[in-house]
Amino acid sequence: MLKSVNSIAFAATILTLTAGTALAQSCPKTGGTLTYVYHPEPTALSTIATSAVPVAIISTKIYESLLSYEGADMKPKPSLAESWTISDDKLTYTFKLRHDVKWHDGKPFTAEDVKFSVEKIIRPYHSRGKVYFGDVASIDTPEPYTGVFKLKDPVPFFMNVFQPGEAPIMPKHAFDGVDLSTAGAVRKADIMQKPIGTGPFRFKEWRKGSDIILERNPDYWHKGHPCLDQVVLRVLPDGAARAIAVETGEVDLAPMSGLPEAEILRLSKLPQLETSKAGAEALGPNMWLEVNMREKPLSDVKVRQAISLVLDREKIVDVIWYGQGTPARGPIVSANPTYFNKALKPYEYNPKKANALLDEAGYKRDADGVRFKMTQNFLPYGENWVRLAEYVRQELGKVGIVVETQSLDLGGWLKAIYTDWNFNITSTFSHNYSDPSIGVERTFTSSNIKKGATFTNSMGYKNARVDELFAKAAREMDPKARKAQFDEIQQILHNDLPVIFLVELSYTHVWNKRVHGLITNGISMYSSWDSVWKD
Amino acid sequence: MSATLWFVIRRTLQVIPVVLAIAALNFLLLHLAPGDAADIIAAQSGGASAEFTAELRRSFGLDLPLYQQFFVYIGRLLTFDLGFSNVQHRPVFDLIAERVPATLLLMVVSIGFALLIGVALGIISAMRHRSWVDSVVSVIALLVYATPQFWLGLMLIVLFSIMFGTLPSGGMMTIATDMSVWERAVDIGRHLILPSITLALFYVAVYARLMRASMLEIYTFDFVTTARAKGLSETRVGLVHAASNALLPVITLAGVQVGHLLGGSILIETVFGWPGLGRLVFDALLQRDLNLLLGILFISSIVVVLANLAVDLLYGFLDPRIVHQ
Repeated sequence: MLKSVNSIAFAATILTLTAGTALAQSCPKTGGTLTYVYHPEPTALSTIATSAVPVAIISTKIYESLLSYEGADMKPKPSLAESWTISDDKLTYTFKLRHDVKWHDGKPFTAEDVKFSVEKIIRPYHSRGKVYFGDVASIDTPEPYTGVFKLKDPVPFFMNVFQPGEAPIMPKHAFDGVDLSTAGAVRKADIMQKPIGTGPFRFKEWRKGSDIILERNPDYWHKGHPCLDQVVLRVLPDGAARAIAVETGEVDLAPMSGLPEAEILRLSKLPQLETSKAGAEALGPNMWLEVNMREKPLSDVKVRQAISLVLDREKIVDVIWYGQGTPARGPIVSANPTYFNKALKPYEYNPKKANALLDEAGYKRDADGVRFKMTQNFLPYGENWVRLAEYVRQELGKVGIVVETQSLDLGGWLKAIYTDWNFNITSTFSHNYSDPSIGVERTFTSSNIKKGATFTNSMGYKNARVDELFAKAAREMDPKARKAQFDEIQQILHNDLPVIFLVELSYTHVWNKRVHGLITNGISMYSSWDSVWKD
Repeated sequence: MSATLWFVIRRTLQVIPVVLAIAALNFLLLHLAPGDAADIIAAQSGGASAEFTAELRRSFGLDLPLYQQFFVYIGRLLTFDLGFSNVQHRPVFDLIAERVPATLLLMVVSIGFALLIGVALGIISAMRHRSWVDSVVSVIALLVYATPQFWLGLMLIVLFSIMFGTLPSGGMMTIATDMSVWERAVDIGRHLILPSITLALFYVAVYARLMRASMLEIYTFDFVTTARAKGLSETRVGLVHAASNALLPVITLAGVQVGHLLGGSILIETVFGWPGLGRLVFDALLQRDLNLLLGILFISSIVVVLANLAVDLLYGFLDPRIVHQ
């Protein structure tokens, strides 16, 4: 008797475990509409036209890439490719593609689409296409469901690039009759406004200025998915109005710091809402003051160190960014689980030391207490950046550096900083992306001192060792050695201060608790949401 | 009669050089601003290579010398082609056309409502000059006039969407539901209430003050004294003799504000997420979407010029002395 009770209990346990596994694979609940708010409105529905945040959020529900990713460290998982092999010399990547994938227009998906997308669309026209696929020598399609990428040189981050927003696979047939030789013609193609992807949701309607509706793809290859019937973007330009819509439950989600920081702070206390800073680790926004090092006194490292010493990063986070961030310690954000150098010390706040350094550098106070004058610009992305500029002016003023603030809109600011190099210091931020060779290198190597290239080395910073280390790391296949290279880079930049590292910004997402399964990896809002479900 | 006809022809012909001058000025002013759409697109993509940005610039025609771009633009205008938006990837005409209905609905309802209420309040205050009614209307009008619209809008949202939960907080219609035509009309009407009231309150204040001032001025005229001397009731003097004559400046102002019909109201559209033209202008400006901006400015300048022409012609009709001057 006892034995049989035991075996029943055992059987029940097994049953529960199996049910648990089954649950993890299927939707706990299907149906429903997830509505999210974001502003500005997307200008296209493909990251080939622009990989701006609003476009990346919506287009990644429609388009997929070869891989999907799991966790903050972005472990590759199958997506359009169901398996892959990497040759020992790390020069050949063979992807076996799924056989059961159809485009939203019903046509079958094959390796030809992959070859076409990478060679004709992504590499030439995605803003980071050349970084990702510049080393691809050829893509062979020995049979319809196999894609073989042959590289000229090893690329350590190659398995990171197959993200839906960064390498979206597009249907070859949709580009019939489109002149593929110019960016203009590709950007004008019908598919940029009426997308045809393979993803869990397909495009239904776009009422400009109001909303975009995506509906469930009934032929989606991941059977039983997506869990939701619809994903809707509502365009609400006013920050306070967006917060109200989240608060009243009219919308379910405000992703990627889509609300003013003060509102996020307020909403985080409401019982029906959830806020999270997790889920954007592979973006890694990092905010700093870019310093034009071409002229004195900013070419002097002591002056830059003094500027760093008078800026209280804790205060910037708490007061200006309402707690939405972490004091920065260097070029790679601390949320990066692989490459952040934990040996970096937090930057000190010490105006006294700053004064001493400025004296030592030979910039003594004159009769009015002024050491020197300079101008500052700020990134025109809203209130916080204006307040930061005011804070910088005030704090530098205390140690005798008189700062005049210049206000420009985005078009004017970009030209002044990255085309004319006509500035002294400016606030800005940059994304680490999924690998330092993608997101960090472009700001600090001397080969990226290029007029007209936005978010590059505007400072004119040249350090042969840094150049050498970045070049090595871009080819280094030994993870340990690569980590050591990035550690050294971080230490050098931490001390050299070609930019004054200030705050690792957070992308905070706010959602209604009736929505589940949003945070899955380091690019959660740029993922397909095929397993997101709603009560 | 020939004098009237001549007046109409002369005023109509004057419109052509004005429109052309506006088009040229728009073009030059917009090109004074530093930076272009290629930079903005590259930047919003999180940074791009110089070649990428240069290729965009080339394909948008932004690398041509300014005078060539100008001739391309004027050439297009002469064939009524407003061009292509490089930022939104669609023809400018389509972008404008799909926003016009929302803006027209909001503005016609608001200005219509404001004219009715504003003129009525103006007449009442003037007829009860220096009474408590006059004071109350004046104080409220001044208060509303001085209140920032976006704040008023947000307060109405807090009141009706959060506290009472009776009206939607934004947008023009409920999204993603299947509705009959009638249900859809009611739905849009519900969404229209808060933005149109917020916008109308401002115009109510303007029209009420203007109507009052205009009435008070008319009251000093001899013909009003004559009317009173004839023994007409004060109501009849006020409503028939004074009010109809006092309407002229209000009509002038309303005519000028027809320009707003197309410009929309950036603040109201932003606060309430109303998909109108005002926001399109604002976004286009920040994104350096030159073709779109030029298109909107061109069309709205034509509308303003035509509205002024209509008011001028209406004047000539209302007051024949203007034709003969």
